[in-house]
Amino acid sequence: MRVLVVEDEVRLANNIAEALRERCGFAVDCAEDGTDGAAMTEFKHYDLLLLDLMLPGLDGLSIVRQVRRRKDMTPILILTARDQPAQVVELLNAGADDYLTKPFDLGELLARAKALIRRGKGAPQPELTVGRISLNTVEQTVRCAGELIDLSPTEYRLLEYLIFRPRAIVSARELLEHLYDYNWQHHSNVIEAHVSNLRKKLRAVGEETTIATLRGRGYRLEAPEQQL
Amino acid sequence: MSAAIKTHSLSRQLIGGVLLAELLCAALFSAVAIGHEMHGRRRAFDVMLRGRADSLLGAVQDAEDPEDNVTVDPTELVLPAQDLYEVLSPSGRVLGHSPASSAELLAALSASRAPGTFNFRVGRERYRAVRFEGVRVIDREENGGYRRPVTVLYAAPTRGLWHGAVEAVWFYIAASALLLAVTGIALVWFLRRRLSPLQELAAIAGRVSTRSWEFVPPAAVLRTTELAPIALSMEELLKGLQLAFERQRRLTGDAAHELKTSIAVLKSSLQLLSMSPRTTQQYKAGLEGLLLDSERMEELVSRMLTLARLEEAAVEQSESCDLPSVVREVAQRLRPLAELKEVTLEISVTEACAVAMHTDDAELLCSNLIVNALQHSAANGRVSVVVQERGGIKGVVELRVADRGDGIPASALPHVFERFFRADRSRSRASGGAGLGLSICKAIVERSGGTIHIESAVGTGTEVTVTLPALPTSA
Repeated sequence: MRVLVVEDEVRLANNIAEALRERCGFAVDCAEDGTDGAAMTEFKHYDLLLLDLMLPGLDGLSIVRQVRRRKDMTPILILTARDQPAQVVELLNAGADDYLTKPFDLGELLARAKALIRRGKGAPQPELTVGRISLNTVEQTVRCAGELIDLSPTEYRLLEYLIFRPRAIVSARELLEHLYDYNWQHHSNVIEAHVSNLRKKLRAVGEETTIATLRGRGYRLEAPEQQL
Repeated sequence: MSAAIKTHSLSRQLIGGVLLAELLCAALFSAVAIGHEMHGRRRAFDVMLRGRADSLLGAVQDAEDPEDNVTVDPTELVLPAQDLYEVLSPSGRVLGHSPASSAELLAALSASRAPGTFNFRVGRERYRAVRFEGVRVIDREENGGYRRPVTVLYAAPTRGLWHGAVEAVWFYIAASALLLAVTGIALVWFLRRRLSPLQELAAIAGRVSTRSWEFVPPAAVLRTTELAPIALSMEELLKGLQLAFERQRRLTGDAAHELKTSIAVLKSSLQLLSMSPRTTQQYKAGLEGLLLDSERMEELVSRMLTLARLEEAAVEQSESCDLPSVVREVAQRLRPLAELKEVTLEISVTEACAVAMHTDDAELLCSNLIVNALQHSAANGRVSVVVQERGGIKGVVELRVADRGDGIPASALPHVFERFFRADRSRSRASGGAGLGLSICKAIVERSGGTIHIESAVGTGTEVTVTLPALPTSA
């Protein structure tokens, strides 16, 4: 999952980004002003937008309106130091999904971020299952018939992204865009390597669910028919 | 709102006043009419009295007695029964009197000695009487007649006189009362109608609150000569008040925003650090960051308090400092920063020149301006600080701080003295400012009765000019 944090207070933005990377395993990009932030949302790489309300350039509310005008469904969480009800109502009516007032609890921010991403992908529960595999987004663990599978952080993120859309074809490009931030050098073959490792680990525990490679089109999480 | 204040209605007072004046007029008119009528009637009454008395004189006859006396024979006279009369001889002997009258009445009648008309009262009855000396010639046919002087007293009750007069002017009194009622009703209607703009104005003014500032005087109010100036000045006042109120609210909101953001940084840094086990190295780095965060927060709070202090207290008489020496000292202190940024700091100051400013405030003003200039200068730039008497005018000192930095965009220039305003937020955050530096400068300068002015062009640089009244040299 990839998150965009638009916050002019650099120290705060870094803390949030660090926590999202460390605790949720998300890829995070930061923008310091509203204009840059709005431009970055246009790529549609993000699974969540975290916006400060008072921003130089373009304020949070304007970004929300821009995003929603494009029919972009990305969940939006607003950070604000002001919590007058009228303002909250205006924000939510403009298309924001949730808000947090500063100073907030970092743990609450992470929980809300995860919940919004889950909801945005149509899965309200924190545990997702395909075949015998169950993935817990809170614990960031993957089990096969109750047995823990030891995955690297990247393998976990890859599976987490794919498990929200079983049987759908996800391109390598999309995986790159949603699993890595801008600071990472893009090499499409890195995805292939991680997919191959993940496939091996699943097979090792005797799981029939696997990730199919469709040449030139992408990847697909496939479970045996009767088990889906 | 408060029941203690006794209110009085303007329209009720007006109506009351007009009706009272009308009532007085009607009363006066009626009194004059009654008086006039009474005067006429009294004169007619007097003539009637005299006439009756004359006819009484005619009734004086020879008594046919040995003393050759005269007597009154009223048998041929037709006189009202309630009238009373008396005929006296020159010696005072009663020659005759009205037969029905009591002794008390006759005594009251004869009490008057002067001739002419007079009034008297017996019991509840009022009388008007006439007394005159007459001469009656008796037996004119015989030997030229005898001349018999007599005194005739004749009185009649005036009861009917007053009633008659009131009856005569009754129509006028009734007409006045009717007029009074009609004008009263007309006045109420007219005033209600005419005063409706005033009520509208009051209603609209009553709706104004700190949440709803809308005040649009209705056309009817603006068309009223007396109300238009009130409505317009109220509109003006409310607009000013709204601006001030909103500015204050924004200010409080901005201050809260800054503080909350600072706390959010501290809190998130702490929570991030305690989220998972860290190495000693990581803890150390985290603590250093936290220390910086808290220092920035301390700076923010101290600046906000400085600003509050400057705006609250008036300048004291004893506050004075030598501006050129303060500038030299501050420049000396900031030289390391200038060297670090590789900026040349040029100082050009006049001789000693005192201004009404506390030394600490003057230092804060100079350091804020010079640090700003240094921070906005590129490497190898130049910052010049000049203190001089302005244009040769004695008594006015000018402090100019100019840089050749990146300048301020024209759109941001009018706002630079506003609190928490940052032309470039991310950058000022990085340099630790909270957008209060220039607000503090402005407060310091204005507290000492001076002015501050900023000129800037993108790419050319910025110049801040402070003009202060100089104190007379105490040397």
